[in-house]
Amino acid sequence: MFQQITDILVGKFHVDPAAVTPDVTLTDLELDSLDIVELGLTMQQELGTTLTDDDLVNAGSLGAIVELAGQRVTAS
Amino acid sequence: MAVHRIAVTGLGLVTPAGLDTGTTWARVLAAEPTAAHDPALAGGPVPLSCRVSGFDPASALGARTADRMDRFTQFAMVAVLEALADAGLDPRSWDGTRVGVVLGCADGGPGTVESQQRLLLERGPGQVSPLLLPMQLPNMLAGQVSIRLGATGPSMVVSTACASGTTAIALACDLLRLDRCDIVITGGSEAMVTPLVMAGFAQMKALSRRLGEPRRASRPFDADRDGFVAGEGAGILVLERHADATARRARVRATVDGGAHSADAHHVTAPDPEGRGVERAVRAVLAEAGADGAEVDHVNAHATSTPQGDLAEARALHRVLGDRPLLTSTKGVTGHLFGAAGAVEAALTVLTVQHGVVPPTANLENPDPRVELEVAAKLVETRIGLALSVSVGFGGQNAVVAIRPA
Repeated sequence: MFQQITDILVGKFHVDPAAVTPDVTLTDLELDSLDIVELGLTMQQELGTTLTDDDLVNAGSLGAIVELAGQRVTAS
Repeated sequence: MAVHRIAVTGLGLVTPAGLDTGTTWARVLAAEPTAAHDPALAGGPVPLSCRVSGFDPASALGARTADRMDRFTQFAMVAVLEALADAGLDPRSWDGTRVGVVLGCADGGPGTVESQQRLLLERGPGQVSPLLLPMQLPNMLAGQVSIRLGATGPSMVVSTACASGTTAIALACDLLRLDRCDIVITGGSEAMVTPLVMAGFAQMKALSRRLGEPRRASRPFDADRDGFVAGEGAGILVLERHADATARRARVRATVDGGAHSADAHHVTAPDPEGRGVERAVRAVLAEAGADGAEVDHVNAHATSTPQGDLAEARALHRVLGDRPLLTSTKGVTGHLFGAAGAVEAALTVLTVQHGVVPPTANLENPDPRVELEVAAKLVETRIGLALSVSVGFGGQNAVVAIRPA
């Protein structure tokens, strides 16, 4: 899941791959509120997760987002 | 009424004729048309357009920045960067509170709206992008430029359909004359060659149907013209008061000595058949420039290649200016860039005046005998003391700027 989210951050949001670590926050990666909504939609489409922008912000670090995403993948 | 002369110190162009000013100018002078079959319009009623080809906004602006902009904003931003470099201005060293951004646009980002509408219908409202509005709103054109440049003075987009670019330039001059700004980034941008917009134009019978000969489709003032060819792109001018420009030893390409507006108050799309609205705007711009109609050497006409519009405009120009001016319409090369048209044509008029070269009207093979003014069929080298750039928009909204050598 970490690699899949990294791929989205790098591919769609053009984040520097070297900057993507488990400790980093979305704010550290310079994603603004609109980007975070877009990230939630992209994760839903590509990974089948059901995380809202609030979930992504509240999770804090990317590691925590990965963990939450693993729990919230829809059955289908 | 004599007014401040406004200096044009920078130009930036992204057009079907080229990705910068020099390339565009060369192709306009060569009268080489850009109209071609458009794969993105395949299956539509008129799959013909003048596209900006080879445009790479990610390289020019950065991929992340480019992804958050509709194509109309990308065009403008690239043209702005060229215009600032041309003017020798660096946003890191100016007082941003004194820098304004006044741009024209007819339609904002219909391409973004159409793709998001498909998402809405196919997948529901929860899949619509949060960037829909920041990308498609027309005012984002100026908003994004202000953000990029740290320009915190007046920032706005004006919309008078196909006159928008010229309207913007005239208003930018007013801001400088009223001392509201020291520098104004002005012009227009448009990216509305989309399947929906083109279907609408086709239903209005506004488009050329010369599908078998695309390069000959845009033929302003020619007797066999049958409509316009839609184009896209941006034109940007950097304006300053002449005294300020010379004080900083800037290269002044030409001056804008007047800008004027009028309304036909006649019909939503058809021009006043006698061009009385255009006539009023031309008379007003001459008054502002302190000039007589007989002094005008050259007009870059709006002439989009429609049967009615070209004739109405030519009649109005002849009434006010007499026989002297040499007309051209650069739309034979570029097609019709809608809200960017006036800005691109004002920039081309600046180059015309600066270099003393009137570009030919591409595809003018059989001049309409009802047009009483001479239209340049070939490139003409001549000194130009005063030139006009005329724009006409749906809604009967007209704008004209007067341009003189520096």
